[in-house]
Amino acid sequence: MITLPPSERDLHAYVDGLLNDADQLTMETWLAANPDMARQVLAWQLDAQNLRAGLSGELHRPMNPELDPAYIRQRLRRNRTRHLAMAAVLLIAVSVGGLSGWQAREMTLANNVLPMADAVQAYRMFAVNDNMASDWNTAKPNNVQVWLDKNFAQANRLPDLESAGFKPVSGRLTSTEQGAAAMVVYKDAQGRTLSFYIRPPGANNHLLSPGTRRDGELQADYWSGGGYNYAVVGPADDPAAQAARQALKQPI
Amino acid sequence: MNDVDDQLREVLPRMRRFAVSLTRDHSSADDLVQSSLEKALSAWDSKRPDGDLRAWLFSILYRQFLDAHRRSRRYSRMLELFTGGKEEHYEPSVERTVVAQTTLQAFERLNTEQRALLLWVTVEGLTYNQVAEILDVPVGTVMSRLSRARQALRLLSEGEITTPALRILK
Repeated sequence: MITLPPSERDLHAYVDGLLNDADQLTMETWLAANPDMARQVLAWQLDAQNLRAGLSGELHRPMNPELDPAYIRQRLRRNRTRHLAMAAVLLIAVSVGGLSGWQAREMTLANNVLPMADAVQAYRMFAVNDNMASDWNTAKPNNVQVWLDKNFAQANRLPDLESAGFKPVSGRLTSTEQGAAAMVVYKDAQGRTLSFYIRPPGANNHLLSPGTRRDGELQADYWSGGGYNYAVVGPADDPAAQAARQALKQPI
Repeated sequence: MNDVDDQLREVLPRMRRFAVSLTRDHSSADDLVQSSLEKALSAWDSKRPDGDLRAWLFSILYRQFLDAHRRSRRYSRMLELFTGGKEEHYEPSVERTVVAQTTLQAFERLNTEQRALLLWVTVEGLTYNQVAEILDVPVGTVMSRLSRARQALRLLSEGEITTPALRILK
């Protein structure tokens, strides 16, 4: 039931035809007695009618096929596929970038760090220096293999270079970026020196395929096995050292 | 799914009419309808309410329009900043049903919300509660805004009648 005089809400509800029959009758009776408000309401009604009439033409515009739901669905699917494809391309791009970055890194590492450069360095510092402080020497009760095994479990056996005249004379532990390393120095009767060097492969588990390289007057033969990297370093052009290297080739 | 499409096809002309009343331009109106339908179809399973489909679609369309309008206003302000030009004022078009011309011209000069309100209530016949839901305001607020919109429409229509507007003829 509406109350009189009618609220604004009821007046609009009357204009919009939202009153029930009884309320509508009440409203019409009241409006008949209030011509000012009646004129106002009539004007609103006319405006509404004009709007309906004026906008009715918009309902009869020709169909736009691009607005058909089936077409829109298709478009959505196409976009989804395109997004997926784009995501895939992105993923590939990122992967390629990542992989080549990684490869570049590996190449940089390989290029910058010559294999077993530390072994050569250790040879230059210690092996040719007879006054080198040693952690093992021939005076110690244990033989050199026992000493080495204490520090490097499961390592390859020391090379036997006796056939070429070289015998282990001293050993020294050092520390390197890759971990603890040991060098065993061999000498022959003429005082020529060779070194056997062992250390872990380091954080990147950078294992070496067997190889040889020359570094100034020195030659390094290197390989990996038993979880360690090894090098034998000695003078490059010395025939006795070359003979010892031949002995290396025998199974250790 | 075809059932859904049929329901949408039925409401489509009304969406287009509402869009035209907001954009005042047929081609941008259809763009607006298209993006609204995309939104509706994507949200159909999760958001579609049980009630009046028309009211739901109107509310999506209205929101899309407001978003786009905000974006374009920002853009035109930027344009103005660079070119020193002024935002073009809307001139009502002349292809009109004669009898309703004055009212329509007045209608087109109302602000966005007033146009939407009058179209929903007087043309589409949505209830005040539905409109309140679309605008996310209490019904009382809808009533007072509707009242203002009607008075504004009245004033503008009378203005059109009593003062013959000077118009640039193209």
